[in-house]
Parts: sequence; C-alpha cells; structure tokens
Amino acid sequence: MNGSNSIFKPVRMVLLFNFLAFILMYFYGSENSLNVLLLGLAVIFTIGILYHIIKVYDWGDEYLFLIASMLCSIGILMIYRLDPDYGIRQIKWFGLGTAVFFLTFIFLGKTKFWSSKPMIYAYPLISIFLFSVTLIFGQRIGGAKNWIEIFGINVQPWEIIKLLYVFYAGLFFSNRELIYLPTVNLKGKAIKINSIFLFSLISYVHLGFLVLQREWGGAVLLFLIFFSFLYAFDNHRSFLFVNGVFALVGGFVGYLLLDHIQVRIWTWIDPWSDMAGKGYQITQSLFAIGAGGFFGTGIGLGNPEIIPEVHTDFIFSAICEEMGIFGGVAVVLLYFLLVYRGIKISLRIDNIFYKAASFGITAIFGFQTFIIIGGVIKLVPLTGITLPFISYGGSSLISTFLALGALQAVSMKNSFSASKVVEADE
Amino acid sequence: MSENKKMLKIFVFISILFITVICYLSYFEIFLKEEVVNNSYNKRMWITSSDRLRGSIMDRNGEVLAYSTFNNDSSQTRIYPYDELYCHVIGYNSNIYGNSFLESKFQKELTGDMATNKLLDIKNLILGNEIRGNDLVLTINHDLQTKALELLEENSGAIVALDPNTGEILSMVSNPGFDPHSDYIESNWSSISTDDNSNLMSRAIQGTYPPGSIFKIITSTAAIESGLDEYIADDQGSVTIDGKIYSNAGNEKYGIIDLGKAFSVSSNVYFASLAIELGSENLLQCALDYGFNKPIDFDLNVKKSEFSTKAFTDTDLASTGIGQGITMVTPLHMALVASAVANDGIVMEPYLVSAVMASDGTQITKKSREKLFDVIDKNSADILKKMMIDTVETGTGKKAAITGITVAGKTGTAQNEKSDSEGKDHAWFVGFAPADDPQIAVAVFLEYSGSSGGNAAAPIAGDLMEFYLK
Repeated sequence: MNGSNSIFKPVRMVLLFNFLAFILMYFYGSENSLNVLLLGLAVIFTIGILYHIIKVYDWGDEYLFLIASMLCSIGILMIYRLDPDYGIRQIKWFGLGTAVFFLTFIFLGKTKFWSSKPMIYAYPLISIFLFSVTLIFGQRIGGAKNWIEIFGINVQPWEIIKLLYVFYAGLFFSNRELIYLPTVNLKGKAIKINSIFLFSLISYVHLGFLVLQREWGGAVLLFLIFFSFLYAFDNHRSFLFVNGVFALVGGFVGYLLLDHIQVRIWTWIDPWSDMAGKGYQITQSLFAIGAGGFFGTGIGLGNPEIIPEVHTDFIFSAICEEMGIFGGVAVVLLYFLLVYRGIKISLRIDNIFYKAASFGITAIFGFQTFIIIGGVIKLVPLTGITLPFISYGGSSLISTFLALGALQAVSMKNSFSASKVVEADE
Repeated sequence: MSENKKMLKIFVFISILFITVICYLSYFEIFLKEEVVNNSYNKRMWITSSDRLRGSIMDRNGEVLAYSTFNNDSSQTRIYPYDELYCHVIGYNSNIYGNSFLESKFQKELTGDMATNKLLDIKNLILGNEIRGNDLVLTINHDLQTKALELLEENSGAIVALDPNTGEILSMVSNPGFDPHSDYIESNWSSISTDDNSNLMSRAIQGTYPPGSIFKIITSTAAIESGLDEYIADDQGSVTIDGKIYSNAGNEKYGIIDLGKAFSVSSNVYFASLAIELGSENLLQCALDYGFNKPIDFDLNVKKSEFSTKAFTDTDLASTGIGQGITMVTPLHMALVASAVANDGIVMEPYLVSAVMASDGTQITKKSREKLFDVIDKNSADILKKMMIDTVETGTGKKAAITGITVAGKTGTAQNEKSDSEGKDHAWFVGFAPADDPQIAVAVFLEYSGSSGGNAAAPIAGDLMEFYLK
C-alpha cells in the first residue's frame, strides 16, 4: 500500500493529536498537571503499541481500534477541560477499556464459547437477571432507574445487556432451524409457530424492562436494533410491518399515558416556552452549539459547563461549542468510518453468528450515536444515552470497548478465512 | 447473499441519518443560530465577559455614572452611584434578566468582546494590569440631568435636552423610573416588569403621545413653505368644520389674526382653518420632512412618531392641524423639531455616546456629527423662530422666559389619547435658548398633568435652560 510510506499515516495523526492534547491539558490543569503528562505518555504508548500489535500479528481490521482511540482522545480532552478530576478518571477508564478490548479479543478470538449453542439460553437469562437486579436494587439517576452500585462503583447493567442481546440474536439466527416450538392445534389443524415469534418475545421482554426503568434512549436503541435484525435476517416483510405498526401504536399510547414522554416530545417541538424549566437542557445545549460557530471558541475558551450533564449525554454540544461545527462534523464522520468498517466486517464473514453479532454491534454504534447527537442538536426528541467512546463513564466505555473487542475478533476470523482463500488459490 | 444486501441498506440508512445530522448542524449554524444565540436566556451573553471587568460609563465631564467591581468569587457587581437618575439612559445589567438601554446596546463594547480588546488583554496580562472592557463617554451633562429629574418632581413624563448644533443629548430623564441595581431588579422583577406604570419604559423615546399645540410648529412650517404665511382668519372663539366645533382654550376670541399672532396665542380656530386651506398633501409632506413615520438613528431604540397617511376628511385635517388628531410623537422627536428651528432648519442626528475608550485610554470609536433631517431653509426657520420668541415673550409660553436671555418656544396641551377618561391633559413645552445663538433645545412632557403646557411645562423648561446657560 502506498499510504504506508507516507508520514501522514492515520496512527501518527492519532498519536500527534494525543501529544498536543496532553500538552494542552498540562497547561490547563492546576495541581495534578505532572500526573496528566505521565498519563498522557501512557495513553500514547498504549495506543501506539496496541495498534502495532494488531497490525503486525494481523489481528484483523487495523482501523477499528484507531478510530475508537481517536474518539476516546477527543472525549478525554473535552472531559478534562470540563473537570480535570473527571478527565483523570476517564483516562484510567480508557486504560481499563483497552485492556478489556484486548482480553475480549483474545478470549472471543481463541474460544468458541460465546457462539456455542447452550449460550442461546444463557444470554437472555443473564439479561433478565441483570434487568431484575437493576429494577430491585437500582438507583434513580436523572429520571432513569438504570444504575446499581457494586463495591462502591456505579454500574449500568444495560450497557452489558445490549451486547448480550446482540450475541443472543446472532445465536438465534445461526441456529433457527434447530429451535423447536410446540405446534398449536387450531380447529384440528396443527399450526407450527414460526421461531421469529420467540425472538420477538425475548426482544419485547428487553424492551419492557427498559420502559420500566424509564431508559427511553435505550428503548429506542433496542427497538432499532431489533428492527434491523428483523429486516436483515428474516424474510417476513409482513411481520416486519406489523412490528413497525406495533411500535408506532406503542409509542403513541406511551405518549398519551406517560408524562415523561409528553415532556420529551414537547421540549423537542418547543423548548423555548419553558427555558427555565423543562426546556433548560436542550436550550442550553443549543446556546452552546450556537456560541461555537463553524470553528469553535477554542478549547477552554467557551462555557460548556453551563449545560447540565455535559460530561455524559451533552458532551457533543461541548465539542461543538469549543471545536466548532467542523469539529462536530469531524466527530460524526469518525462514527461514520467506524460504522463503515463494522459493516464491511459483517459483509465479509460467512458464518451467520459472526455476521449477525458484528452487524448488531455496528448498528448499536451507529444508532446510539444518532440518537444522542440528534437529541442534543434538537433534530429528534432528546432521550438520554451516552455517546460511544466519548461520554464520561466507566460502564459505557468498558462495554463499548467490549463490543469493539468482539468486532475485532470477528474481523480476525475474516482475515483468516480470506487468507485461506488466497492459499487455496495458490 | 440477500442478508448482505439488506445489511448494506441498513448501512445506507445509518449513513443518511449521519448526513442529516451534518446538514442540520450546518442549517442551524447558518439560519437558526442568530436568533438562538441572542436569546436573553443565553447566559453566555454576560458570562463571556466575567473575567474582564465591565467598562464604566461617564458623563461628558468624566463623572462616573456606572462602574463594576469584582466580588470575591470573581463575579461582578454593577454599581450605579445615582440610582434611578440614569435608569432610562444606561439601564440595568442583571445576570438573570439581561440588560437594557446602553448596557444592552453597548454590551460588546462594555464587556470588551471586540477584536481590539484581545490584544489589549494580552498586554495587560503581561503588565499585570486589570483586564477590563471599554468605557463609554456620554454627551450627558450630569448636573443638568440631576436638575431635570428634580424639576420633573413626582410628575409622570419626560424631559429631553440637547445641543441643537451637534445633536448631543445633554439630559434625558423619564418618570417613573426604577433602581437599576441588579439586586433590586432581580428581587422585584415580576412587579416592575408587569407594573401598569411601565417603569421600565423610557417615556422620552419609547412612548408616543399626542403632541397638542406644539404640532402647530409643523402646521406653520407647512404654511410658510406653501406660501400661506400671509393667511388671515377671523377668530371668533370657535369654528365649525363639517359639524365639528373647534374652539380655543378658554373660548378666547382673538378677532382678525395672522399666522404669528395665531401661533403665539395658540389659536385653534386659526390653525384648524389653516389646515383645511393647506390640504393633507402639504401637511403630510411637511410632517415627513420633520421625520414623522421615519426611524430616528440613535444609540437607543426610538419609537417612530406617527402621522397618518390615510385619506383625511376635513375634520381629520383640522384636528391634525392643531395636534389633536391621531398623530403620536415621542418627546425626543419633539426636541428635535425644536432643534430644527434653532439650527437653521437642520436636525442633527442625536447621540448619547460620544466616545468608546479602551482601558489604556485610547479612543476606539468617536461619534462624528451627522445631519439627520434637512427640514426647511434658513429663511423659514427664521420666521418660525420669530414666532416662537413672540410666544414666550407675549403669548402662551411666558412662564418659560428667562431674564436676560431670549427664549423661543411653543406650548402644547393635548387631550390624552384615552379620549375622555378623566379628561386629564398632557402638558408640553418645546423650545430653545438663547434664541439668537441656540445652545440648548428642550422638550418637556408631563403625562396626564391636568394642567396646560403654558402653566405646567413652560416653567420647567425655563428653569432647566436657565440652569444650563447661567
């Protein structure tokens, strides 16, 4: 490849960005400045070394990790700028995240455990268990009851559940013909129930738990993933249509019955009439984006700290304020590249389990990004969900890296099968 | 593989979503941003300036009228040493309710959010000086402003005084006012913002009122310009036009009078007949020349004075000619009308801020004198001036006279716009002095005064001009 001889190799750009970002953070912070410089060196080495391992040992797609690292670097810089303590913690989470990525990749790459048939029972059961624990022991933070405290650390089980759901879907679609459903006797006729009903049932159970937790962003995301699976891996168009209608009716009934949903719709349509109250978050977010203009105020020169929950859900508004619309568009393009690489991986692999799992993970990245970015810029109603790789928070970052590890593992199987083909040709 | 095709479609779908995000962001930036950012709830409007001390505001002699100090938590407090005195000139500056008047119009200059300040900030940082915004130097004469508010006493109304040669506003007060300090604004917002007295509004520039007889300056101008200055009428105390009776104040009869006499005694009979003679075309043209229905360029927003452009009946015309129609004016505009006569027919653009000064003493912008309206020629102005001198010497405006100084003026008593309610009239006086070399032009407006312009407004104008000239 010609590009490999260029000094502008993507990995160097990512490392250079980090180098500059950490120098900036060194001058920005106050007491733990030296600390941040050391952590910065660690981040640069981690990204550099892990990238080269992936490349040298041919561990599949070399860009996945690079794109994720770039997004994380932007996130770390922004979070550190908002609050140096959070920034330091995010750097540590990033370190742990890369470790999780590495281990997930090794574990899933070397074992067939995650695609073994018994897991088709295990995934939904673990999910339902985690959901129940959240409902019973959960803490309500910001309206949604989606956190549980384990050893003093707040964990969001849903971040793991969405991956289990995707793996379950993979197993389901790769083993459909083996799934036995009892026949129903209707007027003497034996009717065989299509297994897709079982998949739908499990999906709606997940959805039900999310609604109970008032995790609206999660519910929308899960439905979009479910719908994408139905569309791509099932041929019953009418069933797809019925589910679509079902969702619309469900959404409408939810709107009529639930105050929470009404508020979200109304603050989307007109946040300006209640700027001090319910429209506060979204209007503050729009003020921030407007303040930045095309090129931004410059990092550290804006006032994104006014926006509520700016570390997590509203991090994109902070990026737009200080790095400008161009910065925001660049971030969106990074996610586009990530989704592009992901789809490419799932297109290439033949094994249906891997295909569905990698497709599901990619769809999570894509839809989750759209739901939150579209929400904070008032393109769609705002539902709280984290921005993958960028938002502050351990649960989110760890689970996203777990998903990325899985995607990487699939991409390696891909390159193995590809190289086998090449060998066979020779 | 059909799955691959369908997965590709999902990919295309996600790509479309992303492109929509990008397009919407650009659309927001180009089309929606302006309105959003200028929203008064946008804390950035004042937060951006928090590390830079907000600039001070001084009168023409360096008297400090508003300044800021840092608090311990690096927030700022705005201090107005004269409390209400400048509430309708400088306005308020609150972290919650935004700002008004000059505090709002010169927000950028005061906060130092300008390109020139960025360099200065760096210089001050290196030199260890305080980083601050720019100061405003006003045309206001603090002593005259104090005197004006004193003279207004408890009356609701406004006084505008300006230099007719330059357009500099010397004083501008409006009653009732409010304490502009932010702690007062913030704790009393709901009462002051909804108060029936409209304390937040400047009656000098944001309120329009019927002008009454001071409008006869415009009717007279139209007569002079259309060659009707020799018009004679027999004033028998009242005249009936299309069934509507127009009578003089106190039903005085003046007999056969010419324009000068009719002007100084403010004969409604004469001017109602004159207006009919003039026709609506001439009157409208003259009103437009004086700046009716036109925006007035000023450092603050001024409401347009209104002169009807609809078809006039004879009674409309007669009423308008004596200032009792649907014509509505701002006190600032009436001071400009007086200044037109004082300044040989030329109205200079009024202004409040003479210079914006950077913290190192350099001048960033300086206001230059500009012509606003070219109303009449010197000849016509001289005729009008003579009529206005007579008014103060022998006519309705006697109480505005100053010993040793020739004063020119016109009184007005306007039926209030609420038609019959309580029948309390507005009292007006516009004029200037000294008549041979005008230094000051004033408009005094007393809302629902209940008294006549000659009795209530003229003495205030006289005292104010005397105070300024002596």
